[in-house]
This record gives sequence, structure tokens and C-alpha cells, in this order.
Amino acid sequence: MDASELQPITHFLQDRVPFDSLDEAALTRCCQALTIGYYSKASSHVPLDPDNPQLYIVRSGAFEVRDKNGELLDRLGEGDYFGFPSLLSGEEASNRVAILEDGLVYHLPPEIFDFFRQQSREFDRFFNRAFAKRLRNQGRFKAKDLTTTSRITSLMSKSPLSIDMKASVADASKLMRSARVSSVLVIDNNKLVGILTDRDLRNRVLAENLDGSLPVHQAMTTTPVSIEPNALVFEAMLMMSEHNVHHLPVVDNGVATGVVTSTDILRGQSSQPLLLIGEIERQNDLPSLIQVSKQIPLLLQNLISADARAEEIGRVLTSVTDALTRRLIVLNQQVLGKAPMAFCWLAFGSQGRQDQAACSDQDNGLLLAHEPDDSAKGYFEALSKAVCKGLDECGYIYCPGDIMAQNPKWRMSLEQWKLVFDKWVNTPEPKALMHASIFFDMRSIYGPQSLFDGLQDTVLSSTKGNDIFLAGLTGNSLTSAPPLGFFRKFVLERDGSEVKGIDLKHKGSALINDIARVYALSAGIKEVNTAKRIRALMEQNIINRKDALNLADAHEFIAHMRLSNQEYQHTHSLPITNYLLPHNVSSLIRHQLRDAFKVVHDGQVGLKLKMMRSY
Amino acid sequence: MDVQTLTYLIVGLTFALYIGIAIWSRAGSTKEFYVAGGGVHPVMNGMATAADWMSAASFISLAGIVSFVGYDGSVYLMGWTGGYVLLALCMAPYLRKFGKFTVPDFIGDRYYSQAARTVAVFCAIFICFTYIAGQMRGVGVVFSRFLEVEVETGVYIGMGVVFFYAVLGGMKGITYTQVAQYCVLIFAFMVPAIFISVMMTGHILPQIGFGAELVDAAGNGTGEFLLDKLDGLSKELGFAQYTEGSKSTIDMFFITGALMFGTAGLPHVIVRFFTVPKVKDARVSAGWTLVFIAIMFTTIPALAAFSRVNMIETINGPESKGVAYETAPEWIKNWEKTGLIKWDDKNQDGKIYYANGPESEMKIDRDIIVLATPEIANLPAWVIALVAAGGLAAALSTSAGLLLVISTSVSHDLLKKNFMPDISDKKELMFARIAAAAGIVMAGYFGINPPGFVAAVVAIAFGLAASSLFPAIIMGIFSKTMNKEGAISGMVIGLLFTASYIVYFKFVNPTANVADNWLFGVSPEGIGLFGMMINFAVAFGVSRVTKAVPQDVVEMVESIRFPKGSGAAHDH
Amino acid sequence: MRHFYLKTRLQIKAALCKQEEIAEYYQALIPLIAKPVADIPLMAFDLEMTGLDSQFDQILSIGLIPITAGVLEVAKAKHLLVKIVGSVGNSATIHGIVDQQLAKAVSAKQAMDWFLTQTKGHVLVAHHAPLDLCFLKVEMIRSYHQSLAFVAIDTMAIERKRLLRKHDVIKEGTLRLDACRQRYNLPVYAGHNASVDALACGELLLAQMASIAGNEKLNLADLLG
Repeated sequence: MDASELQPITHFLQDRVPFDSLDEAALTRCCQALTIGYYSKASSHVPLDPDNPQLYIVRSGAFEVRDKNGELLDRLGEGDYFGFPSLLSGEEASNRVAILEDGLVYHLPPEIFDFFRQQSREFDRFFNRAFAKRLRNQGRFKAKDLTTTSRITSLMSKSPLSIDMKASVADASKLMRSARVSSVLVIDNNKLVGILTDRDLRNRVLAENLDGSLPVHQAMTTTPVSIEPNALVFEAMLMMSEHNVHHLPVVDNGVATGVVTSTDILRGQSSQPLLLIGEIERQNDLPSLIQVSKQIPLLLQNLISADARAEEIGRVLTSVTDALTRRLIVLNQQVLGKAPMAFCWLAFGSQGRQDQAACSDQDNGLLLAHEPDDSAKGYFEALSKAVCKGLDECGYIYCPGDIMAQNPKWRMSLEQWKLVFDKWVNTPEPKALMHASIFFDMRSIYGPQSLFDGLQDTVLSSTKGNDIFLAGLTGNSLTSAPPLGFFRKFVLERDGSEVKGIDLKHKGSALINDIARVYALSAGIKEVNTAKRIRALMEQNIINRKDALNLADAHEFIAHMRLSNQEYQHTHSLPITNYLLPHNVSSLIRHQLRDAFKVVHDGQVGLKLKMMRSY
Repeated sequence: MDVQTLTYLIVGLTFALYIGIAIWSRAGSTKEFYVAGGGVHPVMNGMATAADWMSAASFISLAGIVSFVGYDGSVYLMGWTGGYVLLALCMAPYLRKFGKFTVPDFIGDRYYSQAARTVAVFCAIFICFTYIAGQMRGVGVVFSRFLEVEVETGVYIGMGVVFFYAVLGGMKGITYTQVAQYCVLIFAFMVPAIFISVMMTGHILPQIGFGAELVDAAGNGTGEFLLDKLDGLSKELGFAQYTEGSKSTIDMFFITGALMFGTAGLPHVIVRFFTVPKVKDARVSAGWTLVFIAIMFTTIPALAAFSRVNMIETINGPESKGVAYETAPEWIKNWEKTGLIKWDDKNQDGKIYYANGPESEMKIDRDIIVLATPEIANLPAWVIALVAAGGLAAALSTSAGLLLVISTSVSHDLLKKNFMPDISDKKELMFARIAAAAGIVMAGYFGINPPGFVAAVVAIAFGLAASSLFPAIIMGIFSKTMNKEGAISGMVIGLLFTASYIVYFKFVNPTANVADNWLFGVSPEGIGLFGMMINFAVAFGVSRVTKAVPQDVVEMVESIRFPKGSGAAHDH
Repeated sequence: MRHFYLKTRLQIKAALCKQEEIAEYYQALIPLIAKPVADIPLMAFDLEMTGLDSQFDQILSIGLIPITAGVLEVAKAKHLLVKIVGSVGNSATIHGIVDQQLAKAVSAKQAMDWFLTQTKGHVLVAHHAPLDLCFLKVEMIRSYHQSLAFVAIDTMAIERKRLLRKHDVIKEGTLRLDACRQRYNLPVYAGHNASVDALACGELLLAQMASIAGNEKLNLADLLG
């Protein structure tokens, strides 16, 4: 039959990567080989026939890929694929595809799939990469090597230097000197025709005794090896070593959009957390620490583009902050002399919970082994002021609520701290509790663990089973609710007439932090990181396993949305906020976000039931 | 506008008010409120507690009991008020310090035993069921009159409304909703009382009018005092003299005691003390609560006397010979529809006549006194409607609190902590709602087949509380040597004894329910105190012969009573 | 009971039928009737006509797509243009078929032969089936001088029943194929011809079956009338 008769299918496929790389004849062939299935939520999973592996193309609906252990690997919506791992590996599918929303799925038989892989390199590469990504997700709890997974776009210099091919090499050299770069792209009619590097100037001009009036096109490297913006850093490294070059033009549809150099890649690697932390520990003064800390935003960027889990990103960023704080304490002690008594530097709030993100402020305090005399007071005042100032200059702004070690109120002996916590616990006034909740997420950054344990154990033993305190804390945390209205519609926050969007932090992540905190305090759990708290609660059977997994998933998802939304805001030069506009994301994401908020809501209801005896 | 339309209007308006407050306090950021005001004011909290505590029984039935039985009815007033003082002063601060939110949690921890917790849960559930049954009857009476249906139908409607309110409405537990409910109910109670007081004695305050001279229509004093007149009327019609009691002193004593200790052991009132952060605030708001309760309780005897006089005069006419049924006032016919007033023209003279003894032709349910008073006194229609709204407010606020105790006790204390530790939040919530629904259905059954009048049913709940939970709490606080074996056996035996005594006289063999058959002359309403004594005795006996209390529990008890090292003493 | 009646009716029709092809057509259907729908070979089809009156208007094209074991087999989809007497006239604006295209078309008689061979042993599926069946029956009489009792599932009738169960008033347009599909979140298909509509109708049926029965087995009788 005439393929044009079934245009809706061809139209759909030809807009999809990688099917867009196929020619019309191949597409027609594809359409003629398809079968279409409809999968309904009633049967929870897509039955994957091991004897008949196929490529599944989602036409409508929403699906979820989970591994044998129920770990979520991928969420799929319109235009996504599944079933390809077994087609590529030839192994029986071990993952399960759950059906979230009823939908139509196209099935492509393996012969056609293999045929296309032979026909089109892009087609082949697309599915190989998707397979690799799937494998990566499978091991998402393992540490990731950023170099291999982050993308070129995060490293390359945007708005590259370029010059017309008829210009002289002298002009090119001047241009390169003024821009302080080692290469320039050579352009003819907006098309990239070559690249001129320091090495070309040396080898093809100076060594040949030619003068500066030589046209660029005679000295340049013609048709240079180039790379596409979506390629992985790893691939760029491979290409450079393969072709023995140090500069790779980044080309998007024939237009040069940037250049990536081996130096860029090296710099990118240096913003790997371990290297960064190592570098922090090598610095000997504040100015150089400030310099090093400028790499932190880049690290965040890299982590996001490497598709790292939000929880990991928070932990990595926090470990950098911890290292910076420790280094500042050590450096200042070199100036001030040895401390007159043992002390701990405490981190509260997001640093305590290890979920710092972009532009965090500092929340910290000082725990002293015993009551200080006047000289000790002076010493610790000087120390904490210097450290807080250092942190501020490194980009961790002063806490607007003044919860900082430099505030004498939060620089106390163990006994005093115990009394302060005792007051919060035994006189849980809503106002005081609201401010105090971040103190319950505390972690020692520096100092003897035994001293910190002395405080934490006392606090936890007083909160454990203290129903009145827990009810007060719960009451406080329930004053905000997730932004879902009737019929699960998003409730957008407004500022006058301006729609600000969904507050992912205060109406999402913070609420889950609250829930985890109340349960953890009720059970005397020492963890402060929200994901770890939830895991511990699940293991002690305080939260039901299913509820706990849902809560952990929702926490990760909302945090991830917040990060990727901030990345979106960053790339679109919008102010960085916690507000997400739902229409900026796909319907699948909206669906998942709704699910996540529903989980938060259910978590709040459960907490209220258990802690306040109300619903 | 007629009474019915006005009732719909006013009941509707008050409901809209409660819902409005619920929405407002949810939508408006409570956090900002805290920052500005620093918590709920003790006066507000006092009002809310008063609304929680003043049930349909106090609103609807108490004046009825006092009105009909006179002096004897005052035991309820004394018992309830005394119990509240006991609770506020002797128990709440210690419980508050212990850091437990519910009575079963306290008992479970203090007696280091899951079994003790479970027994306490059963006691609490049992008490709450009984208490709600009284509320349902009250709601039924209100609905039956104003929708002009049989009282059974009224109870069915009431069950629906209470269920919606407590389980689905999401309005309960919000302090400001309860403040509004207190305002509605106290307004509804005071307006008719003041009206009648002015009409009959010329005094605005009913409390003063109670002891004052009666005035005639023109406002001139008649020289006759209200209580004298009532005594005269009572004697004339063959009732016991109003200001003299007919109950034996021992029975009076026991009933008062049961009510008092029962109040102190009621689980849903204790919770209220924990919603304020500081022990001091808890005491202050308890004081205010007492004030707000006193406003109503001091009015009750006056209202009872006024309506008694009014009622007898309207039914029997100025000559006390009865009036013709055709000319009888409208309210008699209205209340006949509900089945709560019955007229049996025994001497076939076509006249209605009310008295004590076989010649009486009227059967009047005591529960209608407060509701019918505005009609009897010919007060404007809106007052009548207001009283309906007040009755509902009283019933709703109390039932919602009780249902929460029942449903969360079943879902959390029984299922989650005992039988299904792995239950998910969703299931827990579902079981809580099912428990609430079951509670209402059972309460509805007892509301339709009441073992007594509203206040009497509630009194039974108090008796059960006094005989089971109260001793366990008191010994938990004040005795270092009381162990789990003692406490559990005390609770079980106290509850069983009291419950069987009540069931025997109220259900199994109601005809035997006369003073001659009672144990030491103590009525089922008062047996709770006896049960309490048994509880104490058993508990001490058992604890002497069983294992001693572990040392850490001894220390815990000491730290509750004598603050040392930490806590409120170190506020700074 | 319903399938028993249907089966008997088909058996009688087959017995009474004089023409071999038609009798075979019935015979092929009979064993299917009692099976669960999932096991019955189905054939979604759609006709394009010059108009809506089966007495005067003619069939222009036929689109077929088989559904086997709950899967639409696009690979086996078929499309056929049919010669007509006269010109397509103004109706071209609706179906997009112009006279020139009909040059390679087959005659009505050939088309009916083709249709019977293709759909033999299949239960038909169409949206607003009565209209299409009416045209087919008229054409059967013209070509074979005998009508044929087609067995067809009508997705529109299924939808009407489902909507009536929910709310009583059905507004105009709510039963159109596109409107029905939207209710199941099925994609919107631009461009209409017999093939696309047959595909659209087949997908709709799968969605309807999933929402009616979920995981349960569905019988043919549940879907007919």
C-alpha cells in the first residue's frame, strides 16, 4: 500500500531523533513494519516477550523503567524509547516497564532496527548512548567520573574568535593576542573552513620564513576535526588524542558555535570535587582560597550537566564547603595560636543536611568544651569572625538570620547549648520552633567527635518520644502545604499580577526535610541528611517501606527539578530562583511533579496522624 | 420569617462561619501569624477548651435535669466543675512535663508496658464511645424539633452531619473554629436566659434573677420569690420540693465524685493542655476556661428554675387546673411531633394537665428544656433558631474531639503499634476514618436507644473514666512504687466492675434500677467512684506482691514531680 | 447467551445462503463468536464515500487494518481506491480524493470481492459502523444480488453507552472519532483518509477495551450493541 496513506505515523517518526536521520524510503519501510499496541494501567507492566524483542516507541501515555530491585531508571513519555537494551545486547530484558498512564506504543521489529543501525551511524550512536545512559542510571549510587559523562557545552568557550579566510596571518595573530587565546576559527561565508592555531603559526609561517601578509587560508589547518555540542567531554578527549590536536571547533549544523581546548578540559577536570578539595587544602591564604572557590559554580554546572543525582550534587557541594570551612579554621588558628580548649564548628540547615545548592548562605555555630573565660571568649570571637568573613568572601554570604558562629549567641559551651536545646524541646513555642528547626539539622565540621556526640546524644534523648515537642514541630511544618489544589492542579504563587510559579524549595524540598526531621527526632536517629534519615527510618520500620521509598523518590525528583530549572534560568539569563513555571516543562514532567507533590501531601497527612493525632 | 426558615438560616450562617475560619486559618500563612502574635492567646485557648469541654450534655440536658429534679441535679454542676479544677491543678502540669500527647501513651510509658498501653487504649475508646452516644442524642433532639421529625430521624441526620464535620470537613481541631463555636453556644445560651430573667424578675443577670422577687407584666414586684414559688408549685403538684433533694447523701456524694474524677480522666480534655507550649500558659488558659465554663454553669440553675415555673404555668394555667388542648400553646404541638412531649387525656376533659403521679397527662422529656424554653416564654423566633445553632455547636465541637481520639487510638495505638507495624500511612488514615465512622454508627445506636437522658449517658462515661484511667494516671504521677502489674489489673477490674454494674441496671434489668437494689445505695451514675476505689485497692494489692518498678522509671517519676537540672526552672 | 444467538443466526444464514463465497464468509465467522475478544482477529476499517446517502452515493476508498491479539498490524494495513460512476464532485473537499487518482482504482464489484477476501475470518470494527455497513450492503446487493449480515463492533456505540452511563446528555460532536480519542488521550491525527481513520478507530477500540475491562477478559457480546 501507499505509505502516504498513514501520514500520522510517518510524521510522528520523522520528527523524532534519531528517526529524523533516516531518509524517506527508510521511514516508509519503518511504517510498514510497525505494529501498534495499547497499554493500560490495569495491567501495571508492559509484557516484554523475551522471544520477540522489539523497539518500543512511546506514542502517548507515560511509562517508567525500573530494574529488578524496583530502582527507578528512567521515566518515559511521548517520543521516548524502551526495549533497545535487549536489542543491542541480545540479552533478555531484566528491567520492567511500568505503566503510569494508558498509552499507545509502536513496536518496531528487530530486523528493521538492525537494518537502520547499519544504514545510519547517527541512529546507531543514539541508541548506543541511550543504552550507556541507562547503564549509568542503573549504577547511579556509585560515584561517577565526571569527565566521561559531562558534556562539551559545559566547558567550551562560547562566542568563539573567528576570522575571514582572506585575512592575513598578521591580523589573525593580533586578534589572538588581544583575545589571549591560542586559536582562531577561519570562516568563509559563515561556514567553518579551517582553524589557525599557535602551532600552525609556528610550523607553517615562522618556520617556513613566510611573512605576516600571508592569507590565513594558506596557513590554517583545513577541514579541522570538529565535534558536536552534545558530545561528551570524554569523546572530545578521545578525538584530541586520536588526531593529536589541542583545539576542537564545536559545530552545530555546520555553524561553529565554540571551541574546546585541552586546557578547557583540564580546567573542567580540576572542578571535579576531589581535585577541588585537594586544591583547597593546599592553599595557604584567604586570597587564594577565594580564587579557588570561584570554581564552585563551575563544579555545580558540571555536576548538573553530568546528570548527577540532586542528592549527590548536594553532598558534593557540601563537602567542598566543609573543606573550605576547615581550611579557614586551620589557617586562622595559625595566626591566632592554639585554641584554649577543645571546640567544634557546627554546621546547621542545608550545610548540616548536606544539601547545599547554588548561592547558599552560611548557618553555623561554635560548640565549646566548657564555659570560656574572658581570654577564651576573645580568642573564639576572633576565630569565628575571621572564618565567617572568609566564608562570606568565598561566596557563602552572611546568614540573614544571623545564625553564625560570629554571633556570640551561637558561640556557647556544651552546657549552654544543652540548655538552649532543652528549652526548645520542653517549651515548644511555635515561633521559637520555627527558627529552631534548622538547629536540629546539625553536623560537626571541625573538632573532636566526642564533644559533638555529647551534645547530639543529649538532644536526641530529649526529643525521642517527646510527643508534645514533636506535635509542636509537626504543627509548624504543616503550616505550608505542597502547591496542589483541587483536582491536582498546580497552585502558582503570585506576586501581585506577576506569576512566580511553583516554589520548589519551600513547598517541596523543605517540606520533605521537615517530615524526615520530625520522624528522625522522634526515633533519636543521628543522621541529618534527609535521604539518609529516610533510609534509616525505613530500616527501623518507623516509616512503611513503600512510603519511605516514595518520599525519597519525591525528594530526589523535586530537588532535581529545582536544579535543572535553575540551569534553565541560567542558560536563559533569567534570575536564579526556586520558582518553576509549569508550562516550561513537558507534560510528563508535570505529571511526575504532581505525583511527587502528592507524595509530599501524603507524607504530611501521615505525620499529622502520627504526631498530632489528627487528620 | 417562621422559626424553621430562621433556624436554617442561622445554623447555615454559623456553619459558614466555622468553614470560613477553617479556610482562612489554613490559607493565611500561620507562620506569619506566629511571628506577629507569638502563639495562641491564653484567653482564646481558654474559649476553645471550654467549647471542647461543654458538650451537648451541658448545653441541652443539664438545665433540663436541674429543672426537673431540682437540687439533686446540681451534682452534675459540682462534679464537672470540681473535676476540671482537679485536672487543671493536680494533673495537667505533670502530664505536660512527661511529654506525652495522649493518656494511653503516658500510661504505656509510665508502666513500661505495651499491655498497659493497650488496656488504656481500650478504656479510652470505651469512654469516648459512651460520651459520643450522649452527643448524638443531643444532636438528634435539636434536629428533630427544627426539622419537625421524629427524634430517631433527627439522630440519623445528626450522625451524617457529625461524620461530615469530623472526618471530611477538616474544620476540627482548629482553635479559632472552636473559639467561634464557644461564642455561638454561649450567646445562644445566655440570650434566652437574659430575656426570661428580665421578663420574670426584672434583672438582667439571670444569676441575680434566680434569687430575686418575681415581677408582674407591668414590672411591679409581687413580693414572691422565684424559688419559693417553685417550691410551692412543686409541692402542689406532688413533686419533691425543688430546693430539697430526694437522693440519699451517699448517692449524691458518689455521683459527684464519679463526675469529678471522671472529668479529670477524660482523654480528650487532657489533650488540650498540651497544645500550649508552656506549662504556665496551660495553667492560665485553664483558668480562663474555668471562667468561660462558669458563665454558663452559673446560669443553668436560674434558667432551670425560670423554665420550670414558666412551663408549669403555661400547661396548667393560672388556676393550676390545666388548659384546654385546643388553646394550648403552639410549642406543645410542635414538640409533640418529635415524640418528646406526649399528651394522654386520661380524664377525657380535653385539657392538658401536668403533675407528679397518675393524674398527670403529660410526658415531657427533660432534654427539651433548654431548646423549648424560648418558645415557652414566647421569645422572638430568632432566639429559638439561635438556640438550635448553639446546641449544634456544643455537640459538634465535642464530638469532633472525641472522634479523633477514638479513630487515632484505633489506627495508631491498636493497629500500628500492636497488630500491623508495617502499615502504610494511607492505610492508617483509612482505618482511622473507618473507626470514626464505626464510632458514629454505634453512638447513633445508643442515641436512638438511650440508656438515660443525655446528661445521664454522659455521666456514665465519666464513671468509666473515673474507675479506669484516673487512678492509673494519679498513681503514675504520685506513686513511685506502682508497677505495671498493679496498674493493669486495677484498670481492668475497675472498668469491668463499673461497666457491669451499669449494664446490669441500665440494660439487663432496668426495672431493678431502684435505690433498694443498689450496692450501698449508690446509683449507676455514681458507681464510678466505687470502681475507682476498687481500682486503687487492687492496684496497690497487686503491686505489693509483684516485681518492683525498674530504677529508671522511678527516676522518671521523680523527675516529673521534682524538676532538677533542666526544664522550666532554667528558663532564661 | 448473546453469542449463542449470534452463532445460531450466522449458522442459519450460512445454511440458507446459495452463494459459496458468502456462505464461506459466514462459516469463517462462526467459530470466532464464542472466543474472548483478545483472541478474535479483528479488522478495523473505514470507507470514504461521495456522500452520506447509501442509495445515491458511492464508495470511493476502503482502508483496512487488522488487529491481532490486541496489536494493530500496520504492516498489514491495506488501502483500496474504488471506481465510481461520474465525478467525485464537491465531496473531494472532504476526503481529498480527486478524479485523477481514481484512474488506477478498481471497479465496485472487484472492490467487494477484495473486501470479502480481506475481511474473511475477521470481526469488523468501525466508528459509526451502521453507516459504513449500509454502503457495503447496498454494494453487496448490486454486486452479488444478496445482502450480507456483517458482524461489526461499533466504537461509537461503545462510547455512547459509556457516556450515557456517566451523564445522560450527550452533546453534539462528543461522539465524533476525534472527540472520542481525545477522551482517552490518544494523539490527534491530522489529515483524514480511509487508512488513517481505520487506524484511528482501531486505536480507539484498544483504548476502550482497556478502560472497560482492564485486565479482565472481554467477550464479543460485551462490545456488540
